[in-house]
Amino acid sequence: MAALQSQSKIVRWIDHRLPIFTFMQHELHEYPTPKNLTYWWNYGSLAALMLMIMIATGIFLAMEYTPNVNLAFDSVERIMRDVNYGWLIRYIHMNGASFFFIVTYIHIFRGLYYGSYKEPRELLWILGVVILLCMMATAFMGYVLPWGQMSFWGATVITNLFSAIPLVGNEVVTWLWGGFSVDNPTLNRFYALHYLLPFVILGVVGLHIMALHTHGSNNPLGIDRKGPQDSIPFHPYYTIKDMFGVGVFLTIFAIFVFWFPNLLGDPANYIRANPLQTPPEIVPEWYFLPFYAMLRSVPDILFIKAKLAGVLAMFGSIFMLFILPWLDTSPVRSARFRPIYKWVFWLLVIDVLVLGYVGAHRPEGLYVVMGRIATLYYFFHFLILFPLLGIFERPLPLPTSISAAVTKGKP
Amino acid sequence: MRAFAIALFSVVALAVPAFAQEEAMPPLDHEKWSFDGPFGTFDRGALQRGFEVYSEVCSNCHSLKLMSYRDLGGPGGLGYSDDEVKAIAAQKEVTDGPNDQGEMFQRPARPSDHFVPPFPNDQANRAAHNGALPPDLSLIVKAREGGSDYIYGILTGYKPPPPGLKMPDTMQYNMHFPGHQIAMPPPLSDDVVSFADGTKATTAQEAHDVVTFLTWASEPRMEERKKTGVKVVFFLLVMTGVLYAAKRKIWADVH
Amino acid sequence: MADTAQPGPIGGHGHDGETRRDFLAIAATAIAGVGTACATWPLISSMNPAQDTLAAGAPIDIDISGVQPGQQIIVLWRSRPIFVVRRTPDQVKALAADKDAASLRDPTSAANQQAAYAKNVYRSVKPDVLVLVGICTHLGCIPEFVPQPGGSLGASWQGGYFCPCHGSRYDLSGRVFQNVPAPYNLPVPPYHFVSDTVIRVGENPPDSTFDFNSIEQI
Repeated sequence: MAALQSQSKIVRWIDHRLPIFTFMQHELHEYPTPKNLTYWWNYGSLAALMLMIMIATGIFLAMEYTPNVNLAFDSVERIMRDVNYGWLIRYIHMNGASFFFIVTYIHIFRGLYYGSYKEPRELLWILGVVILLCMMATAFMGYVLPWGQMSFWGATVITNLFSAIPLVGNEVVTWLWGGFSVDNPTLNRFYALHYLLPFVILGVVGLHIMALHTHGSNNPLGIDRKGPQDSIPFHPYYTIKDMFGVGVFLTIFAIFVFWFPNLLGDPANYIRANPLQTPPEIVPEWYFLPFYAMLRSVPDILFIKAKLAGVLAMFGSIFMLFILPWLDTSPVRSARFRPIYKWVFWLLVIDVLVLGYVGAHRPEGLYVVMGRIATLYYFFHFLILFPLLGIFERPLPLPTSISAAVTKGKP
Repeated sequence: MRAFAIALFSVVALAVPAFAQEEAMPPLDHEKWSFDGPFGTFDRGALQRGFEVYSEVCSNCHSLKLMSYRDLGGPGGLGYSDDEVKAIAAQKEVTDGPNDQGEMFQRPARPSDHFVPPFPNDQANRAAHNGALPPDLSLIVKAREGGSDYIYGILTGYKPPPPGLKMPDTMQYNMHFPGHQIAMPPPLSDDVVSFADGTKATTAQEAHDVVTFLTWASEPRMEERKKTGVKVVFFLLVMTGVLYAAKRKIWADVH
Repeated sequence: MADTAQPGPIGGHGHDGETRRDFLAIAATAIAGVGTACATWPLISSMNPAQDTLAAGAPIDIDISGVQPGQQIIVLWRSRPIFVVRRTPDQVKALAADKDAASLRDPTSAANQQAAYAKNVYRSVKPDVLVLVGICTHLGCIPEFVPQPGGSLGASWQGGYFCPCHGSRYDLSGRVFQNVPAPYNLPVPPYHFVSDTVIRVGENPPDSTFDFNSIEQI
């Protein structure tokens, strides 16, 4: 790392004592990046943007929100009606959760397709799974705060999952609630944790980026950079490309916020929570549907009751991702050079979409069958197909270098 | 990867309408609303007439707790002047206090007061309606699948029950209500109100206007939202265009 | 830097393409910066009083029939203490004599801390009824009502208000003395007499358009 060359005396003075400018120069400016990244690589920066937007809007919402079962619903409506731009901040926050998950899911599937989790990026991937888990917890608790019907019954159903834990299940659930059902203490702790967890995510994102910058980005070819001819500095090439992506993304986001703000939500959450009446259908937000489907799909397995089995499947589906780098035995990263995995990957995408579709419907008739098959495939995909593919699949020949592949086929 | 992603997205987009149809319910007619579309605003005439219908009919059983009288005036309101709003509020009595003697007292409502509910609490409201609770209408349009069209469907969906269907005396047949049995008697009929602006008060007109009013009540900031949206999206499109040009230019020497 | 192929900063070379690239990069940065700045406005604006808070500042009626001469009552208006004092005839006389004028900061109520109808030596509509916002103009404490002359506040003390926080002193019209930390007289809220015994705080008399938000300092 060359010492910072700056015209400004102040910058040099500060940098000599706290090398923050050198750090930025190194990590954001000259940071060498593969020259062949596609737009699928934009979603990481978009996720970071969404985290910032959620934290910013969330802080200002927290200034107006009241975490009390008698006041929460009205305080949210006061934000929507009386607080200056409250409607805007709340709709951004509400739809922001959905868009945060959209970009994160695309980001994850991009990693799966191009083998971005493989050596030496295993920890980078694991940190990403930690972020996903924290996001899920944050989103779940955030959804409870408006104290509508779906908030209350979603919280009831999800906290009741923990009663499936053998021996101490009931004690755990009572402890989670701080009472005998979802009530004021539950709302208060969820609020406290909903405010805390995003900053935990922010910290883990820092580690995630640190791990990323250690070996640099993977790329569509999945091969390592061989030298300067394969790289370009992050700035201005990827800063401008990321910013363009941000522009496109924000335009789509704005269309939802300003014209379809409730499209992704459930009308029942505009009904005040009523502990005496369960809504006809309890459906989580769309981003939890695949997991919700798995929860409901699993039947009794031997001596494990369906309830516990469903909970295990749901949590297992995410925790399995932690060991993914070791489940995949293929030496080749990018699916471009894996003729079978290339197709199998899309089976997984379809499988997850099917799970989401099933999760949105009452578990009756065909949906139960579909849910069971899709759940089974999900685990089959990671636990059996992944290890076997690495052994039996014959990868295509890899290009010698990124620049060789990039110039090939161009005049 | 891109081609497959696009193909998959189209399949999903085509499959999504399949989500919609589930129960055997007659499809909701889509009314033509003044607030439809990206630039839609509330027709002030319809809002005021709808408020008349609410005040004279709905408000006998249904509260509108999240609204205040002040919401009727000002920008984004129904178009009433401050004095008119004061007069509307003053027609209602609210309980205030305690006074210096420690007693609660009645006073005329002020614009800053919330709409006075017809019953002091839900229990009293239930007791007066055979145990059924007329829901608060503040968010009714946002709280029901189908929104404005659904509420309009309910208000105009009363039919004689199909032959052979036994109905309790307290229930009415409504083609758009889930389960078709609704405790609310048909609230609207021709000339149940007489509109101040002379519009002919047919059932359809009353339903249309009161749904416009209730849609406004569910989200009084909708007009502001769409107006802001136009500006924001215009800005974002320009910004994205410039960013794209800059991106092309900067990347020119790499490609 | 040795790791990368294109080390040059934007527009490092002099030919035409570089100038255009420079311009676009600057335009892109500028427009994105403007967008970010605009996006913070709703967040900042949301911290201003909400519509219901503004509406709740409606006028209140205070019945003063029970207030004895020399006595003060305190009522809340917009979450602020309102002092209502019925002055004794002696106090009215003392104020009319205005002996303290030389030691007051603003004896003529020149600073905009009251409406025109309270811009007199009594700072009130009727000489015997004083209405003030009871918040010290120094740092927001509530001054104590000390009507009896002399005592621990010195022989020259004619009765008035003493702020316990930092010792600011006001006379019985809420006019601030010199050499104390408070800079302005105590504000007079808009009010008028609905009847002989009821005052309405928060509303001007019909002939006045005084805006309380325009005062120098609360």
